[in-house]
Amino acid sequence: MTALPAPPVPWPELLGEALVALEPMEGTSGRIRFRSADAERVFRAVHDAGFHHLTMIGGIDWVDHREVIYTLWSDAGKTYLFLSTDLPADHPTVATATRVWPSANWHEREAWEMVDIQFEGHPDLRHLLMPDGYEFHPLLRSFKLHEPEDLEVKVRHV
Amino acid sequence: MSEMWINMGPQHPMTHGLWNLRVQIDGELILDVDPEMGYLHRGIEKISEDRHYNEVVTLMDRTCYVAGMAWEHLYILGAEQALHLQPPERAEYIRTMSEEFQRIASHIMWYAAFVQDLGLMSPFLYGMRDRDLLLDLFQSYTGARMTYEYMRVGGVRNDLPHGFTDRARKVLDWLIERFQEYDQLCMGSDIFRRRCDGLGVLSARDCIDYGVTGPMLRSAGVARDLRKDRPYSAYDRVDFDVARATTADVTGRYLVRMEEMRQSVRILRQVLDWLDHHPGPVMAENLPRWLGAPYAPIGREGYLLKREYPKGVGFAAIEEPHGEAAVYVVNQGGEHPYRVKFRSPVYVNLSAARKYLVGYHVADIPPIMGSVDVCVGESDR
Repeated sequence: MTALPAPPVPWPELLGEALVALEPMEGTSGRIRFRSADAERVFRAVHDAGFHHLTMIGGIDWVDHREVIYTLWSDAGKTYLFLSTDLPADHPTVATATRVWPSANWHEREAWEMVDIQFEGHPDLRHLLMPDGYEFHPLLRSFKLHEPEDLEVKVRHV
Repeated sequence: MSEMWINMGPQHPMTHGLWNLRVQIDGELILDVDPEMGYLHRGIEKISEDRHYNEVVTLMDRTCYVAGMAWEHLYILGAEQALHLQPPERAEYIRTMSEEFQRIASHIMWYAAFVQDLGLMSPFLYGMRDRDLLLDLFQSYTGARMTYEYMRVGGVRNDLPHGFTDRARKVLDWLIERFQEYDQLCMGSDIFRRRCDGLGVLSARDCIDYGVTGPMLRSAGVARDLRKDRPYSAYDRVDFDVARATTADVTGRYLVRMEEMRQSVRILRQVLDWLDHHPGPVMAENLPRWLGAPYAPIGREGYLLKREYPKGVGFAAIEEPHGEAAVYVVNQGGEHPYRVKFRSPVYVNLSAARKYLVGYHVADIPPIMGSVDVCVGESDR
């Protein structure tokens, strides 16, 4: 995989205080760590910098805190960019990205049901892959496989 | 007004897998749709956290059962970056070859199922007949027809058998003629054109906003193809064109996939020529024993060794037959990945269903959803 040249976008100027760190990542434009309180502004700035395509949103449970990673693609720069923000485990809340990238809808629904991350302002935060009424978050580290669970699956009637 | 919600699925000929399309209709007109997923969710991301790096390959074949090689390729690229490993060049070419064979097999499978949805039976039989030749090729070098478990961190499991490239070329020569017949059967058929032209239109702008990728995006005129834009494995060393259409409808998607199969044949001919003239190792040298799967079987003593490996994060994205697939692998120094996150193109393409279904009629749903090429295995993971 060939490494791409450094990004021409001046992130520190664009993002200001919202920028926590800029880390290089092999074969991509790097990773921007941002303050979760400024999420909405960061999304707008990154979108306007040419990253119109949202590839995915993933949550990681680091036990003491949680991390949300946004993967973005720029058609003009032909490069990937990562946004990441740390959220406290007791209150993992971040603003929704659906207003900037409509495709964030299902990604956020999945991150919510899998890693228990709340997306403020999401239009339709309900279960997607798991059945309605499922009260666990399977991709948390505290959710162990090979253990019996008492699960009552509610059936949705339409 | 007599609006009502109906369920198309989870058991419905249109779905091609287990998912439920809830449709709000007024007479024949579609007012709203709500895809309901999760019937095939197996928790592959969670299971991966509990598996050795090479064992995840087994899950990848099950992720998308019609494009197993592509998903193996994707995961392996991500895992290699996370573990700071580099495969030998011959392995890169073999992976490229496998992915392209898989792309043709997947597109033929799509063609067969899609055209059958429209009520044309014979193209289905032709498609299945030709796909079988590709599965025979897969079987000859991996030992399996659908769940290959062929790629390994650091290379591929074994080299190609004697005489493989000649056999493969014969299959390609046969296929390239059959593609012409497919086209005559469909594009020359008035019934086909009337059921497909102008349906399920999704503009380039909507495609980008809603994350739609793959043949759907390229049928709207956007030439985004990761094999070209961000080459991986051997794609920077082969010549091919990105297939494109401008109509953004069902016919456009059909034309893009047909052209992609021809371009895959073009890539494969170059790759097979290269493989003929460049023998060499197919696994990286000096692998840790636990990773050298062909030499130290998993489950033996190598598996039990506790070692420290350099931490790392791997990211890979490939142009899978259905669109842009991506993986994010977090390596925290253990024997298992700490977290694996997949991006399934079908999942995102389905999430935009409201955009390309509302306003059409109920009878249009099979051709439109057929043109999306749904594989629920990879969508639900």
